[in-house]
Amino acid sequence: MTKYLVRRLLTAVPTLFGITVLIFIAMRILPGDPLARVGGEGQGQYQLSDEELKEARASLGLDRSLPEQYLGWMADVARGDLGHSFWNVEPIRDAVIRRGAISLEIAVVAVALSWLVGVPAGIFSATRRNRLPDYVTRLLMTVFLAIPSFWIGLTTVLILVLAFTYRPPLVITELWQNPLTNLQMVIGPAVALGLGLAAGLARMTRSSVLEALYDDYVRTARSKGLREQAVVGRHVLRNALLPVVTTSGAAIGALLGGAVATETAFGVPGLGTYLVQALNSRDWMVIQNLVLIYGAIAVVVNLLVDFSYAWIDPRIRYG
Amino acid sequence: MPLDPGSLAIFDAFQSGKLTRRQFARRLAGLGFASGTIATFLAACGAPAPQAAAPTSAPAAPTVAPTALPAVRPTVAAPVVAPTNAPATGTTPAAADLGKLASAEPNPKRGGTLRVAFGVTTSNYDMQQGGNVNVLCQMYSTLVRLNPVDGLKTIVPDAAESYQVAPDGLSYTFKLRSGIKFHDGTPLTADDVVATYNRMIFPPQGVVSLLKDRYTSVSKVEATDPQTVKFTLKEPTAIFLLLLTDVSQGIYSKKTLDANNNDLRKVLVAPGSGPFMFKDYTDGEKWTLVRNPNYWNSELPYVDTLELIHVAAWSDRGTAVLTNQADMSWNVSLETWTEGAKRTDTIRTNRVTTFGAYQVIINTRQKPFDDPRVRRAVHLALNRQGLIEAFKTQEQIDLSRWVPHGGQFATPRATIEGLPAYRADKTQDIADARKLLADAGYPNGIQGVELLSASVPPHAEIMSPGIQDQLKNALGMEINIRVAERSLLVEDEKAGRFTLVLDTPSDPISDFSPMANTYFKTGGSQNFGSYSNAAFDALLKQSDQELDPAKRKTMLDQLQDMLDQDPPWLFIGFTDHLLMWRANVRGFALDKRVQSEWGRVDIAWMDA
Repeated sequence: MTKYLVRRLLTAVPTLFGITVLIFIAMRILPGDPLARVGGEGQGQYQLSDEELKEARASLGLDRSLPEQYLGWMADVARGDLGHSFWNVEPIRDAVIRRGAISLEIAVVAVALSWLVGVPAGIFSATRRNRLPDYVTRLLMTVFLAIPSFWIGLTTVLILVLAFTYRPPLVITELWQNPLTNLQMVIGPAVALGLGLAAGLARMTRSSVLEALYDDYVRTARSKGLREQAVVGRHVLRNALLPVVTTSGAAIGALLGGAVATETAFGVPGLGTYLVQALNSRDWMVIQNLVLIYGAIAVVVNLLVDFSYAWIDPRIRYG
Repeated sequence: MPLDPGSLAIFDAFQSGKLTRRQFARRLAGLGFASGTIATFLAACGAPAPQAAAPTSAPAAPTVAPTALPAVRPTVAAPVVAPTNAPATGTTPAAADLGKLASAEPNPKRGGTLRVAFGVTTSNYDMQQGGNVNVLCQMYSTLVRLNPVDGLKTIVPDAAESYQVAPDGLSYTFKLRSGIKFHDGTPLTADDVVATYNRMIFPPQGVVSLLKDRYTSVSKVEATDPQTVKFTLKEPTAIFLLLLTDVSQGIYSKKTLDANNNDLRKVLVAPGSGPFMFKDYTDGEKWTLVRNPNYWNSELPYVDTLELIHVAAWSDRGTAVLTNQADMSWNVSLETWTEGAKRTDTIRTNRVTTFGAYQVIINTRQKPFDDPRVRRAVHLALNRQGLIEAFKTQEQIDLSRWVPHGGQFATPRATIEGLPAYRADKTQDIADARKLLADAGYPNGIQGVELLSASVPPHAEIMSPGIQDQLKNALGMEINIRVAERSLLVEDEKAGRFTLVLDTPSDPISDFSPMANTYFKTGGSQNFGSYSNAAFDALLKQSDQELDPAKRKTMLDQLQDMLDQDPPWLFIGFTDHLLMWRANVRGFALDKRVQSEWGRVDIAWMDA
């Protein structure tokens, strides 16, 4: 088991290294200089002269060679210092901590919601196979899989504004500061993201449960005279949930991607919105650090899924 | 600068000798002109001011009173004839300190929090080096400002108590108010103003001054005494006072500038002397400012707290105001603005002009656009009204000509609607355009013209295809759209690597001069299309120095005619902003505004 874990951990290192190199190079080989024009709404625009541009680049350390810049970045990361954005004065680390908390809350609530809705829906559908409740549930699964989460977000905001003159808060309120306001900020994006995830989970749960329902051990359980509820709960689910765990792990990637658009739709100043703003202004420093963080999260989640497999299924750790 | 008929008659009578100096001064005083202004008129006409004509109870009068005009655009105090609309009340106009502003509505209430939603992130804290002016300006004073009480139609003193313009227009002398203090308690003196403007106009090594190009006519800024600042100009500058109203020109303390080697980009709270003081800032979220209890104008500000909330998207700003998450926003989306306009019980709206424009820069060095006939042909053929209509879901473009819209020098909209190139019926324009193309050697249209467009969807997917389609249908011109990321587009622009490029230049100054000198003048710093028209350059220089507004208006009309005949751009129009605020934001006169200024909110108060 330990050997397996160490092996998996070691493979994560080159993955993360690859991510940093790729994003670092991608940002710098893209044509165009983000510093070429400064200005803002209602302020006019100003194109820097070549001399001013040179000075601005130097002040941001962009006049150094690429290897120097990369090593400098890695050294900063190792020290826990993610540097400064081109356009915002707050250290990136501070912004990530503050905004990351709200994004994490959204992710946790979305995943919890997907389990709370998706798994029961899948079981409900499987145990009523080819009957009207099954058709209705499957239709809903397809609908929520097909609709992008940001669209659900935009529609929700529109309805809330027009019908109820309400919109979620715009400024982050921490959970411990005011739980109700915090919930108002989190619940919208979490539901928009969670519904799509729930639909995916429900489909996976349905097919796993259907497969398990006709296995020999289930037939045996039934022949012992167990009630259907106990058969499904004790015997079917334990085996059927293995692929569901895999799906949840893989869904984290989709969740991170979806959060970018959904946070923007709800106007939540989380990490997703931060990334969108950085992309719009080509803020390399923010983009490369956020991509590193997102990559690290994906790697860690995948590791956790692998470890959970090894823990659940001994054939994997000894394989 | 238009005068009312009564005033004009008095001027005419004086100039023709029918009125004595004393009679002239008395009549103007009767119309409410400040004594200082009258003195300036007389000085300009070569006559000393008769002291007896000034209202006897007046204390030391400002040498040039705050300037106001019935025109909708803020007006510049012209040294020669600077009429004012000083209130003709029982108190003498000269005694009134028009710079000491108060609520535009009676019975203002104190206290509360005003929440303003817009983009409040900043790349640095130095508003003269690219920091977020719209945020930082709340904490600083300027020499003069646009008057928010009358909807930004006049210029009033701010840190300056009064100002005097030399008769030849070659110097402006500002007398500072006494008792102004920075937030750290140090007094604001002439040295601070000189340090601020010297850094701006003559930036030392390492300072990127975004404002220096506006002040090329200034040769010297000096303190003649601790309370007096004198700007010496190389040539008269018609819009000099207007330039000084820009909210980004807040006065920094010399002490702070010296202590930071003139670079305040990383100084979070460089002390200002404005109505609000810094309290807190969360990047990407919110600035919290609090009332300055020692503000020189003891009447202001009314609110205790000012929250500037970061909301990047126009639609989110609109929903924030609609749902009471914010009290106002400087610009919201059309959908939310329209919704707000329906909710008259809780929401107020206004549409105001800005000085940003949509246009296509033409590279005049490249064929076929090196031929003025081809440029004139596309200028004529473009259906602006159609483009404006198609684009209105994205941004509000006003049918306008080259001079910024809405102001005293702009061509009235009704006139523009009937002008060739701008009118809705394009039949004659297209016929003329085809003839011009044929004369230029392109009777069958032109193939392979490239239009460079930024990759943002409104540009790449609406405006550029609209232009492409119109010119194909009207002139048989085959345009290929090349879409580029915005920073790449800027580089191509600077290097002249384009034939046509869709761009959106903007300037916070509501006058033709900054735009013309930057974009149209031969060798202008952002004349990317290498446009050159010697006659235009000469007349532009003349108009920049012309202090008589009426004569300047004539010149500006001629300049516009020149650009219509020999266009450097395919000009589409200036844009508008959609202001929206909640009904309980009072005293701010946002409904009177005709132009956009994302500036100080000190006269606003919150009704319960």
